[in-house]
Amino acid sequence: MSQTLEQITTGVIEGNIQGIRQLIQKALEEGLKAEEILQNGLIVGMNEVGKRFKVAQMFIPEVLRAAKTMHAGQELLHPLVTDARAVRVGTIVIGTVQGDMHDIGKNLVGMMCEGAGFEVIDLGFDLSPETFTEAIKVHQPDIVGMSALLTTTMRSMGHTLKAITEAGLREKVKVMVGGAPVDAEFAARIGADGYGHNAVVGAELARKLVEAA
Amino acid sequence: MRTNYRVNAGVRFEVFSRDQLEELFNGVLHVMDKIGLDVHHEEARNILADAGAHVEDKRVRIPTHLVKRALATAPRSFTIYARDGNPAHDIQIGPGRAHFGPGPTPPNFIDVETLERRPYVRDDARIVATVVDALPNIDFCESLGTISDVPTDLAAAYEFATMFPRTTKPIVAWSFGWDDSNDIHQIAITEAGGQEAFERRPNYIHYCEPLSPLVSTFEAVDKVIFAARHAVPVIFTTCALAGGTAPVTPAGIIIQTTAESFMGLVLSQIIRPGLPFFTGGVLSVMDMSAMILSYGAPELSLMMAGVTELAHYCGLPLWQTGGCTDSKCLDEQASLEGSLSVFFSALSGGDLCHDVGYTESGMTGSILQTVMMDDAIGYSRRITRGIEVTPDTLAVDVIRDVGPDGHYLYHDHTMQHFKTEFWYPNLCDRHNYEEWAAEGKQTMRARVIDRTREILATHNPSPVRPETAEAITAIMAAAENRVKNKP
Amino acid sequence: MSEILKRMSSAVIQGQRDDTRQMARDAIEGGCSAEEVLYQGLMPGMDHVSGEFKAGRMFVPEVMRSARAMLNAMEVIKPIMVKNGIRMAGKVVLGTVQGDLHDIGKNLVGMMCEGAGFEIHDLGADVAPGQFVEAVKAFQPDIVGMSALLTTTMRAMEGTVQALVEAGVRDRVKVMIGGAPVTQAFADRIGVDGYAPDAAAAADKAKHLIAASR
Repeated sequence: MSQTLEQITTGVIEGNIQGIRQLIQKALEEGLKAEEILQNGLIVGMNEVGKRFKVAQMFIPEVLRAAKTMHAGQELLHPLVTDARAVRVGTIVIGTVQGDMHDIGKNLVGMMCEGAGFEVIDLGFDLSPETFTEAIKVHQPDIVGMSALLTTTMRSMGHTLKAITEAGLREKVKVMVGGAPVDAEFAARIGADGYGHNAVVGAELARKLVEAA
Repeated sequence: MRTNYRVNAGVRFEVFSRDQLEELFNGVLHVMDKIGLDVHHEEARNILADAGAHVEDKRVRIPTHLVKRALATAPRSFTIYARDGNPAHDIQIGPGRAHFGPGPTPPNFIDVETLERRPYVRDDARIVATVVDALPNIDFCESLGTISDVPTDLAAAYEFATMFPRTTKPIVAWSFGWDDSNDIHQIAITEAGGQEAFERRPNYIHYCEPLSPLVSTFEAVDKVIFAARHAVPVIFTTCALAGGTAPVTPAGIIIQTTAESFMGLVLSQIIRPGLPFFTGGVLSVMDMSAMILSYGAPELSLMMAGVTELAHYCGLPLWQTGGCTDSKCLDEQASLEGSLSVFFSALSGGDLCHDVGYTESGMTGSILQTVMMDDAIGYSRRITRGIEVTPDTLAVDVIRDVGPDGHYLYHDHTMQHFKTEFWYPNLCDRHNYEEWAAEGKQTMRARVIDRTREILATHNPSPVRPETAEAITAIMAAAENRVKNKP
Repeated sequence: MSEILKRMSSAVIQGQRDDTRQMARDAIEGGCSAEEVLYQGLMPGMDHVSGEFKAGRMFVPEVMRSARAMLNAMEVIKPIMVKNGIRMAGKVVLGTVQGDLHDIGKNLVGMMCEGAGFEIHDLGADVAPGQFVEAVKAFQPDIVGMSALLTTTMRAMEGTVQALVEAGVRDRVKVMIGGAPVTQAFADRIGVDGYAPDAAAAADKAKHLIAASR
């Protein structure tokens, strides 16, 4: 295998955002195809990051930096691949629900989803159900992700899902929920398609939901 | 006669020198004056601007002289009173006095009968208040959960209405906003005998939680304004995650969270100079693997000791944290993490130490954990009481009296002191093996469960006055109507 | 009459050692028998103390004080009982075994047994097997109590029991042992009649042994 591809893999693992662009440029100059760079360089690196995170050999700040590096590489390759979906697996709209201003968890999910190849549209926090339905109409996402930190704002997730259904948009998107007080039982009760107990699982779930669709 | 006799100031855990405290305090002043905080409350911004703060859009910067004026008017020592006048249940805030109590709002609760984790319901507030009232080392009450089986907007009001008649220990109340703050306040002042009587003898404390980093949310600020206008002692504290919503370094998170609290301090003291105010906050690490705010991390106790010292340096009481755990059940981890954090909290002398009974990183409340920690608090309090040195306690004469080969069991000196010098646990077993075996080889866990159930079966807290009981019914009925008619 | 006996009980419970002596005299002068003073005044008080101690509501120094209060009253009634030929609860010879100087546990047992109405002959600490044998011959006790704090001196208990057997006095007495390292299993192994984990239990055990043998 090309030494440059190995360097790209290492670059992702080490979160070398500056270096990754040069390495990809070098690989392209060496004649490697964009698909090869993606599959055998960037994705190999990100898969390794996922593995190391699960056994606590890597930690969140390192994982986020790797995801950002991955995302920078993908952006560079995006115009060059024949099948755009190889790079851009889907679009996800995320936000913290009405009444809740906590957004660190939602930001984590956003960064991890970018690293997993999603185009992420972050609506911010304290979002009304209408803000979500409008965003679905405008951005036509594959997935909507909602976050809440408080037991008192969790119920806004139910309201938002209802608004999406009433606007006739429920069939068009998968809906994911997350946040400290949220659990799988709650997700099932309000009729969401999935729940991730942390940002890494959230990004994996997003990929599964898109692949299943 | 003793002259210039030097006494040890106490058994304490101190982490900073005076130079370091001055540096930290300067850091807080710099954040407030040069960086500023976002205040999502127009009226509050106007109040602050009128007092001399710099306001630009939502960003509010507080000049140092305003902070210092607020520190000058906020009291270091004051009393929160037991609603029934029982002085043993009063809380006297002041130097060298650490108090303990549960925490607010986890979604789940460990059922006292089934011992399973389930959503928190209204009856749990009765259970928690009754047990808190009976425990000798728990000083104030919080609910350990958010009630899930009432209209959501009334969860806080129902919680207070349920707990208030079942404990005379002061309650630390939370609320969503102005309306339910008022429900709670009306209940409290009815028992006190009116607003004026309440102002002389405040019987509860209000809790407000702004956001890290550096955001004063509308609800938190609205509640501080309510508290200040109604003379309710108030806590204004963030729950910052080191490495997530605050600097990863303990010194950095202490500066940031103190600045976040001080926004509430300045606002409250402008509205009502002299209002009792507790600075925060809840400081711990964001576990970079599990992605939780750890309630069992040593950094929690270390950072809390640091922020306590800074608060006391500034002349303010502090909202401490301890007796909590990341464990999911009443096990060895819960005992280890809970006991050590209680111990360090007692050693640092934080004024109100809450979250005694938090498990699963704050996701589940457990009154069983609180009951177990009651013994850990008693243990810690014995140590922080220190060793008294007087001619009587030095006991040289007693040693002469008894002499070689004698014993002290009969001696008057033993009789005089053994009950005050020794602390006796309620739960930790000191029987010999045979007795322990004869009692069924009970574990600590089993004894905790038994004691909790026994308290619930036998303890009758002092009731509220009949007019307060009527007022609670009327206030909650009106609140139900208010919520029903809300769009 | 029953009034003064009741007050005597509560004086024992409260450990008013100076009062009990005078109360015993008053009771006798007022026409009470020595047996009434013992069984209706002093013992009910001491039984209460024992129960409170077991429930963790009274502590060792308080029990000691109550035992002393009872003993002071006993000094008044004992000569009368002896004169009238009334038997005490029993006689106990006590000692810490050879090689062991720890005697606080043995002292506690002695005081608790006195409180329970026993006559105590305390041989002290580091008591050789031969001294136990001599004491059994001299005092004719119902019970011999041996104490040891150390695992290394526990062995001396076995040697003492053997000495009692060899001197032909083992059958005349019940033997009880106690002390931190001693267990029921050890007691069974060396062939003694009783074992107690603490001083209060030892006094109970002594009563049971007497009751069983009479």
